[in-house]
Amino acid sequence: MATNRSAKRFGADRVRIAIIGLFLLFAWAGMAYRLVQVQVVQAADLADQGLSQRLVARELPPQRGKVFDRNGEILALTVEAQSMYAVPGQVDEPLWVAQQIGGMLGVDSDVLYERLTSDRDFVYLDRQIDAVAAEEILGLEIKGIYAHPEATRIYPAGQVASHVTGFVDIDGNGQEGLEYVYDEQLRGTPGHALFERDLGGRPIPQGISDIVPAVPGADLNTTIDLPLQYQAQQACLDAIEKTDAESCWVVVLEVETGGVLAMTGAPVFDPEARQTLNPTCDGSDDPDGCRAFSNFAVRGMYEPGSTQKLITFAAAIEEGEVGVGTVVPDVADVLEVLDGACDSGDSDVYGCYHDFKEHATADMTVAEIFIRSSNVGSIMIAERLGQERLVSYIEAFGLGSKTGIDYSVEAPGILNFAAGCQTCWASAAIGYSVAATPLQMAAAYAAIGNDGMWTQPHIVSSTVDVDGETEVAGTETRSVVSPGTALLMRELLASVVEEGTGRAAQVDGYRVGGKTGTANKLGDDDRYTEQTRASFVGLAPINDPKVVVAVLIDSPSREFRTGGASAAPVFAAVMEQALHRLGVSPDVG
Amino acid sequence: MTARPFQQGATEDRLRVLKGRSRSGGLVAPWMVVVLIAVIGFLGLIFARTSLDNSAFDLAELERSIAEQSALNQQLSLDIARLENPARVAPLAEELGMVVPISTNQILVDLSPSGPTVVSVEAREEAQ
Repeated sequence: MATNRSAKRFGADRVRIAIIGLFLLFAWAGMAYRLVQVQVVQAADLADQGLSQRLVARELPPQRGKVFDRNGEILALTVEAQSMYAVPGQVDEPLWVAQQIGGMLGVDSDVLYERLTSDRDFVYLDRQIDAVAAEEILGLEIKGIYAHPEATRIYPAGQVASHVTGFVDIDGNGQEGLEYVYDEQLRGTPGHALFERDLGGRPIPQGISDIVPAVPGADLNTTIDLPLQYQAQQACLDAIEKTDAESCWVVVLEVETGGVLAMTGAPVFDPEARQTLNPTCDGSDDPDGCRAFSNFAVRGMYEPGSTQKLITFAAAIEEGEVGVGTVVPDVADVLEVLDGACDSGDSDVYGCYHDFKEHATADMTVAEIFIRSSNVGSIMIAERLGQERLVSYIEAFGLGSKTGIDYSVEAPGILNFAAGCQTCWASAAIGYSVAATPLQMAAAYAAIGNDGMWTQPHIVSSTVDVDGETEVAGTETRSVVSPGTALLMRELLASVVEEGTGRAAQVDGYRVGGKTGTANKLGDDDRYTEQTRASFVGLAPINDPKVVVAVLIDSPSREFRTGGASAAPVFAAVMEQALHRLGVSPDVG
Repeated sequence: MTARPFQQGATEDRLRVLKGRSRSGGLVAPWMVVVLIAVIGFLGLIFARTSLDNSAFDLAELERSIAEQSALNQQLSLDIARLENPARVAPLAEELGMVVPISTNQILVDLSPSGPTVVSVEAREEAQ
């Protein structure tokens, strides 16, 4: 009996062992099957899946180059800011969230609510905000609200240098001024990074890694003197307040190099607040502010009036038609170039020219005509020169064509010498029938200051790339009159300030020369209005000119309608600061 | 019974000296040495790999720190530039009673080898 029981139990054990063995066998077989499937059959796909989860490809944005003034002060740079965004699907209470962070961001909560309830996967709440403000919002720990770093362009000098630097759009593309012209050099070359990351987002050592670093953009060294730029802008703002003018523009050039020391105007604009172009101001609530970004010093064309006489007289002297002491007989205060023009009584009929002040007919020397700014005398001198030679000198001095300055959308000006026009030469001799920019006029006067050598104005003196290699900007020069003629013209300009129409342009301690200009503005109906554009262009010190300053004041009140009354004081204020900034010693007691 | 005489030649034939096994060779087999070297090598490899990974993480951390410091540097440059903006400085200077110098107030400093001397504009003009 005992033997049978023992045999039975042995048989049951064997069955159990067999079952367990089979189970283990199947289990191992299953695992082996799965192992083969995972490691062999699906190996490549799964490896790819894993890699795609770990692998990250990112574009590395380059750092945009900085812009410096001549003293190394920063005019524009790029810093890291934070851009707030939301994943609308994750935001639980959009109305509450919009109200909560709307005030903190300075964005209308209705606009935010609309964005937070949109059916998009990603919406920006506000871009390029201060890191502290972003941290404050993230500190609220609102589900679905995030921030990511983004570069933003900052202009530390604000509105002071805005007419020079221009601005970029929200994505960092140059839109205006130097930012536009030098966009390619400033923006640099983007890099890219391909690497494996762990759960914490850190690169996995020894993993796949292909990193091509971004190449930062080149820095621009400009010829601008920031303190002088500020003084010039302040002088313009003061002039607008005093004369009730529409706008005021100043260009300051270094005579020898053509470098722009200051180029500014008023009204002003904040480059950080303006990121779109709207030159026509369509739909703008603030037309004045909208217009302000346009740099009239480079783009605005105006009839230069008497400041143009510098070219007429220089041409006549250079061609030997007159000397400074040459007497021009019978200079009246009215001159009829076109028969019957003065009989019509209509001041808008071309061909009848008046001096600014009535005077008796008299013999006048060339110097007297220039100092008194006689239109009639100037036209009589131009008559000796003839239209062809007059036009050639006007063109040689740079009017009617772009100076080639490194600034966006420069205006070429207009030379109106239509075929058959019998009076255009006479008008051009006194600054009508010609439209120039303040920059062109400054460059023309700089040529007289530079012994007759016209030099192309420029703002950027050099570009410095990431390796420290410097590229110096080249400038074009050409001789327009002889040094002797330039010297005579400088003396005539000094006489205008000492005893003529430009006395308000005098600067204590320095001998200054310059010329006033007052030109009536054309109305919408192409008839001249009572409104004027008052200007003054001059240089100092007259014995060895270092600086040229051109001032244009648009539509001053009647009391200040002449260049001598409104523009000359601005010139004096700016010129004094310019001479101080350049360390030019006083040359008179 | 007589004693058998000592047979020297026969004894010499039977006895021989056996070469003993060396003590060290008996304790560590050559394969154990190989295994030991392999284990040490493996552990060394793991240690080197871990060190390399740690260094890589340290490097990544340093790079992140450099980026942070660069951003901070940029921010400080910006702060300095904003503080130096003439539009901020000039009104403050005026509040403090400072004025823009006029030409006749200029003082020229002669930096000749004999030693710096201060010369007013008026004095220089008189000398000339």
